[in-house]
Amino acid sequence: MEFEMDRFINTLIDRSPPHALEHLQLVLIPLVIAFIIAFPVAVLLTRQRFIKYTDRVMAFFNMGQTIPPLAVIAIFFPFLGLGRTPALFALTIYALLPIARNTLAGLKGVPREVKEAARGMGMSEWEMLLRVEIPLSMPVVMAGVKISVVLTSGTAALGALVGGGGMGAVIFAGIDFFRAELIIAGTLIIAAIAIILDRILTLLSNMLTPPHMKI
Amino acid sequence: MIKLVNVKKVFPGTVTPAVNEISFEINEGNICVFVGPSGCGKTTILRMINRLLEPTDGDIYIKGQKVKDLGVNPDQLRREIGYVIQQIGLMPHRTIEQNVALVPRLLKWPENKIKPRVKYLLEMVGLEPDKVSKKYPYQLSGGMMQRVGVARALAADPPIMLMDEPFGAVDPILREKLQDEFLKLQKEMKKTICFVTHDINEAIKMGDHIVIMNKGKLVQHGTPMEILANPVNDFVKNLLGVDRGTKLLELTKSEEMVERAEEIPTEISNKNCFILAIDPVQRALELMMKKDADIVGVHDGNKFIGTISWENIKKHINRISGDEA
Repeated sequence: MEFEMDRFINTLIDRSPPHALEHLQLVLIPLVIAFIIAFPVAVLLTRQRFIKYTDRVMAFFNMGQTIPPLAVIAIFFPFLGLGRTPALFALTIYALLPIARNTLAGLKGVPREVKEAARGMGMSEWEMLLRVEIPLSMPVVMAGVKISVVLTSGTAALGALVGGGGMGAVIFAGIDFFRAELIIAGTLIIAAIAIILDRILTLLSNMLTPPHMKI
Repeated sequence: MIKLVNVKKVFPGTVTPAVNEISFEINEGNICVFVGPSGCGKTTILRMINRLLEPTDGDIYIKGQKVKDLGVNPDQLRREIGYVIQQIGLMPHRTIEQNVALVPRLLKWPENKIKPRVKYLLEMVGLEPDKVSKKYPYQLSGGMMQRVGVARALAADPPIMLMDEPFGAVDPILREKLQDEFLKLQKEMKKTICFVTHDINEAIKMGDHIVIMNKGKLVQHGTPMEILANPVNDFVKNLLGVDRGTKLLELTKSEEMVERAEEIPTEISNKNCFILAIDPVQRALELMMKKDADIVGVHDGNKFIGTISWENIKKHINRISGDEA
């Protein structure tokens, strides 16, 4: 395989940006949907009434992570067909577990005595959730979101295989035409996306947490 | 102020009641100390008073009203009862100021009323508001945190305070200090306080009234004097320890044991050993040892009222501790 600098730079600057934008969508849309699903579900699972369902629900999230996204797309092909929708769907399922798992861990890690004192002071269940449990578990929850971001950034490359677009299109073109420039450029941009998103989320998380509680 | 009538608590999944048919009353402005070995149900009683737990049977009254009927919402009740626990439970993500302001904020006090209140409370518990307000709990020492815990419980000026081993996690010297400070505060505040401890000495020191519990049952209750003087059974005797007699001397005022006399015996005036009528008898004992005397004189103000003799103290201790000492 040969390497031409001109082609590499051309790929990086001219060819990639629209794909990178698509890729960003393939990461962010599933992430937001996964958060909207996994976070409230995990919060519910720590409430007294729903604790008994924890194992069953988490088994579902585990499954979402174990089944390869391509297999998910294959299974749902009859309903969703090919293109962006099944790619977003598969990636959403893939992103659920770290968020749900870390939300559970974060909420369970809230010190007992803090909850006991909060209840003894007369906080309602809602006040306790909003003012004590969620703020205290935020660093752990955000760590889960960051894991999901990194995982999804990499996996989203497979979206191209089913016509979902993204940086995968560049990489697979490089593989098909034996072009190292395309493969490396594509990979670099994916890595950059993962790192930038991770940094943004870290900043966000730090804004929500007092300095001594960062992880 | 607080009355328990046949209160019983059986936790789900257990057979033996954690609290078994307990009845007693706590008077307004008193410190009532629950004491007993761990698992005796003392904390359970505390948690039933502010409805963190509901009794299986029996009723709890506050100011003559059943707590069950004090509004549908137990949260409202808890905001009007101060709560201090051994582990303190300060919110680690909130500053000291925010921690102390917690209940006033829950009660939706106007902000301009909260600020001065927090400052006042921090000063009251012996902290410097300017130095600690903006700090987070992890930046304080254990003793300071415990003070913040007390300030937080007092924030909305609740008439009742529940304190579960509030000084249990600090070292003995600091504990003494916190106890003294708290008693001083209580003299002005006159709160009705339920205090849980497993330390009988703390109970004797802090309590206007002591409730001794074992295995969910009330064994004996009364003033520290009553209990020290007449323990009902061996369990109480063991709990009080073999130095029961001398502990009693700490609580007995000299005037209660004085033998009335008009003239000052020469032995006393020679050695110049006098104590005040309000001093504990223990003080007399100390003076006897220091001055190598067998008898001390007692003054009430400037007036000589009588004497306390070594023989008398010995008899007194013997009567109380019997032959076990």
